[in-house]
Amino acid sequence: MIVPIGHVLLLALILLLLGIACVLARRTLIMMLIGVEIMINAAGLVAVAGSALHRQLDGQILAVFLMAMTAAEVAISLAMVVYLRRRKGTIIADAFDGMKG
Amino acid sequence: MATTLFYILALVAVISTLLCITRRNPVHAVIFLVHTLFALALIFYLLGAPLVAVWEVIIYAGAIMVLFMFIIMMLELAPTGAGEGIGGHHWLSVLLLSLAILGCSVGILTLDPGHSANLPDFYATPAQFGYALFHHYPLAVELVSFQLLFAAVGAFYVGRSTPTREGAP
Amino acid sequence: MNPVLLALIPLLPLFSAVLLMLFGLRLPRLAVGTLAVGAVAASTVATLLLWPAASGDGLLVVLYAWAAVTGLDLPLTLHFNPLSAPMTLMVTLVSTLIHLYAVAYMAKEEDVVRFFALLNLFVFAMLLIVLADSLLLVFIGWEGVGFCSYALIGFWYQEGKNADAGRKAFLVTRVGDVFFGIALLWLFALTGTLSISAINAQAVLLPAATVTAIGLLLLLGASGKSAQLPLMSWLADAMAGPTPVSALIHAATMVTAGVYLLCRFFPLISLSPTALLAIATVGGLTAFYAATCALAQREIKRVLAYSTMSQVGFMLLAVGAGSVGAAMFHLITHAFFKALLFMAAGVVIHLADGENDLFKLGGLSRKAPQVAILLVIGALCLAGVPLTGGFFSKDAILLAVGAHPETAYKILWLLGIISALLTAIYTFRLAYLVCAGPPRTAIGHVASPGLVAPLWPLALLGLLAGLLNLPPLLGGGERLMHFLGPYAGLQPEVSHLAEFGQWGLAALLVFVGWRIARSRWSKQPAAQEGARIDFFRSGWQIDTLIATVLLRPFSALCRFSSEKIDKVGIDGVIAGLAQCCRFGSSSVLRMATGRLSTAVTSMTVGVLLLMVWGLWTLLLR
Repeated sequence: MIVPIGHVLLLALILLLLGIACVLARRTLIMMLIGVEIMINAAGLVAVAGSALHRQLDGQILAVFLMAMTAAEVAISLAMVVYLRRRKGTIIADAFDGMKG
Repeated sequence: MATTLFYILALVAVISTLLCITRRNPVHAVIFLVHTLFALALIFYLLGAPLVAVWEVIIYAGAIMVLFMFIIMMLELAPTGAGEGIGGHHWLSVLLLSLAILGCSVGILTLDPGHSANLPDFYATPAQFGYALFHHYPLAVELVSFQLLFAAVGAFYVGRSTPTREGAP
Repeated sequence: MNPVLLALIPLLPLFSAVLLMLFGLRLPRLAVGTLAVGAVAASTVATLLLWPAASGDGLLVVLYAWAAVTGLDLPLTLHFNPLSAPMTLMVTLVSTLIHLYAVAYMAKEEDVVRFFALLNLFVFAMLLIVLADSLLLVFIGWEGVGFCSYALIGFWYQEGKNADAGRKAFLVTRVGDVFFGIALLWLFALTGTLSISAINAQAVLLPAATVTAIGLLLLLGASGKSAQLPLMSWLADAMAGPTPVSALIHAATMVTAGVYLLCRFFPLISLSPTALLAIATVGGLTAFYAATCALAQREIKRVLAYSTMSQVGFMLLAVGAGSVGAAMFHLITHAFFKALLFMAAGVVIHLADGENDLFKLGGLSRKAPQVAILLVIGALCLAGVPLTGGFFSKDAILLAVGAHPETAYKILWLLGIISALLTAIYTFRLAYLVCAGPPRTAIGHVASPGLVAPLWPLALLGLLAGLLNLPPLLGGGERLMHFLGPYAGLQPEVSHLAEFGQWGLAALLVFVGWRIARSRWSKQPAAQEGARIDFFRSGWQIDTLIATVLLRPFSALCRFSSEKIDKVGIDGVIAGLAQCCRFGSSSVLRMATGRLSTAVTSMTVGVLLLMVWGLWTLLLR
C-alpha cells in the first residue's frame, strides 16, 4: 500500500533514460558500460515492483538472475576493454571504426 | 512512512545517477553509481525483497563496481577520463531525445488503466525465496553457473597478454 | 514457240550476267566479251523473229503464277504489243552495238568481267521494264536499272568522286521510286490487280481526282529515272562512268524508261487533263533548263548529258500533249543519234588521251576524219537539220504541242521552239569546238576499228530514221503511227499550212543556230568565264540549292538529334538515373560509419518512433 505501481515504473523509466543518455552522450567505453549498468538496474527495479504487485516471487528471482548475468557480462566486457586498449591505445569508442563503409 | 521513504530514496537515486553520468573522472562516476545502487537496494527492501536488496549491495555494488574500479585503475584512465565530459558530444540532441522518449513513455504509462494500482503489503522471507528459486527454477540456476564459468574463461582468454606481437589474440 | 521466245528476250542477258558473275574470272577475255555481246545479240534476233506477234492485241505470256489464291491473282506476265515491240527492238539493237563498242573500249581495263556482268544485268532489267505487263516485274526492273546504273557509274570506284556520282544518282532516283511505289500500291488497292493492261481497261471507272493524283505520282516517278525537274541533278555527274555506260544507260535506255512508263499508262493518265498538263510543263521546262545548261558546259560528255535531259523533256512534252506516237518516235531516233554522239565522244576522249575539255580539243576533222564525220552526223541529227531523223521526230512533237487547243500549250510550244534553237546552238558549238581548227591537244593514234565500226550502223539509222514515220506530206505512210495503232494516243489534226510552217520554222532555227555557233566558236576562242556562265554551267546552281534547302537542315536536324536529344536527353536521363542511384547509395553509405555511437543513436531513435506509434495507437483507442 505504499505507492502506486505507476510511480515505481516512472522511477525505473527515468533511470533507464539516464542510462541511455549516458551511453549516447559519453565517448569512452567505460562510461558506456556504466550506462548499461544503470539500464540493467532499472530493469531489475521493474522486475521487483512487478513481483510485489502480483504477490509472486518470480520477479525477485528474475532480478537475482539479472545480477548474476550482469556479473558475467561485465567480466567479459572489461576484459575486452583491456584488450582494445592494448590494441588501439585509446578507449574512445569512435576510434574503432573498422566496419566503416 | 514507507511512502515518504520511497520518494526520498527515489530522489536520491535519480540525482545520484545524474551526477554519475556527468562526471569527467570515471572513478567519481563509479562512486556515484554505488550511491544509486544503495538507494535502489533500500527501495527493493521497501518493495518486499530483502534478499534481493542485500544481494544488490553485495554483488552489484560490492563485486561489479569494484571490478570497474580495478579496470579503471589498471588502465590509468583517471583522472581525465580521456578528456571530455557530458558537454563534449551532442549533449543537447541526447537531452532532447531522452525527453522525447520520456514524454512518450509517460503518456503511454498514464493511459494504461492499471497504473494507479497501489502496491500491496508484501514481504518475501529468504526461506520463501529459496524455496521458490530451487523449486521452480533449478535448471536456470545450473545454467547461470555455467554462464559464470564461460564468462571467467572468456575473460581470461580475451584479457591474456601476448608479449611477442600486437594484433590477433 | 512464241512464248518461249518472248521469255528468252529478257532472260538471255540474265543468264549471261549470272554466268559471268559465277565463272567470268576463269574465262579468257575474248570469251567474256563474246558471251556478253552474244547474249544481247541473241535477244535482238529473238525480237525480230517475234515481230509478227506484236500486232493487234499482242502476245501475253505468263512467266510465273506468283500469287494465285482466292481473291488475289498476281501472275508475272510479259506483254509483247505494238508499244513494247519497237522499244524492245531499239533497246536490244542499241545494246548490241554498244556492247561491241565496249569490248574495244574496255580492252585495257582489268575489271572487265564485272563490267560486262553489270551491263548485261542492266539490259535484263531494262527489258523487264519494257516487256512486263505485271507492275511487280516493272518495279523489279525499275529498281534493277537503278542499281546497275549506280554500280556502273561508280565503276571506277577507287576514285572517290566516281563513287559519289553513283551514290548521288541512286539516291535522287530513289526519291522518284518512292512516288512510283506509292502509285503502284494505290493502283493495286483501287483495282485489285497489278496488270497494266487490266488497270488501263478499268481506268474509266476511277474517280477523276484519284486519276490526277496517280498521274502526278507517276510523273514524279518518271522524273526520277528520266532526270527531269525536279529530280535531275544526278545526270550530269553520272558522266563519271565509262562512255559505254553513258551511251547505253544515260542516252538510250534508262532515261527513257520514265517516258516509256507514262506511255504505257497513257489510257489512265489521259483521263486527267491536269496530269497531262503537268507532264507537258515538266517536259517543257526541263527542255529549256537543260538547253541553257548545255550551252555553258566545258566537258564534252556533260554537254551531251544536258542535251539528253533536254531531249527527254521534249518526249515528255509530247506525252503531255497527248501524242504518244510522237514521243516514241523521238525516243527511238534520239536513242540512235545520242548513243552515236556519246560513243563518238568516247573515241575523241580516247584519242586525246583522256582530255575532255571542249576548249582544249579541236582539229578532229584533220586528224581523225572518220570520227569527225560520225560526230557531225550525230550533231546534225540532234540539231534537227531537215531530212534527218531528228528533224522529223522533233517536228512531230512541236506540231502536236502547237495543235493543242489550250493556251498553256501554246506557251509550252514557244518554250519548245526556244529550246530547239538553243539545241541547235550548243550542238554546233560542240561540233565546231571539237572538229574545227588546229588541234589544241595532240590527237594521237588512230582509233581501233573495233571502236569505230559499231558507230556506222547507228549513224545510218540516225540519218534514215525519218523513214520510220514519214509524214504524208512527203509521201510517207506514217508507219510508226499506224503500227502503234490505238497505243499512239491522240492524233492532232494539223492543216498542211501549219505543217509547212513548222518545218520552215525548224529549218530557220537550225540555220540561225548554225550561223551563231559558227560566228562564235569556229575560230577556237577561249572559254568564257564569269559568274553568269558559272550559274548555267552548274545547272542553275541546283546542287547548292539542294544542299541549302534539303541537306543542311537535315544534317542540322541530325546533329541536333545526336547531340541534344541523344547525348543530352536520352543519355542524360540514363546517366541521371545512374547518378540518382549513386547519390542514394552514397547517402545511405554515410550511415555506415563503423562507429558504435551511430548504431546506438539509431536504435534509440527507432525506439522513440516505436513509442510514438504506440502512443498514437493508444490515443486513437
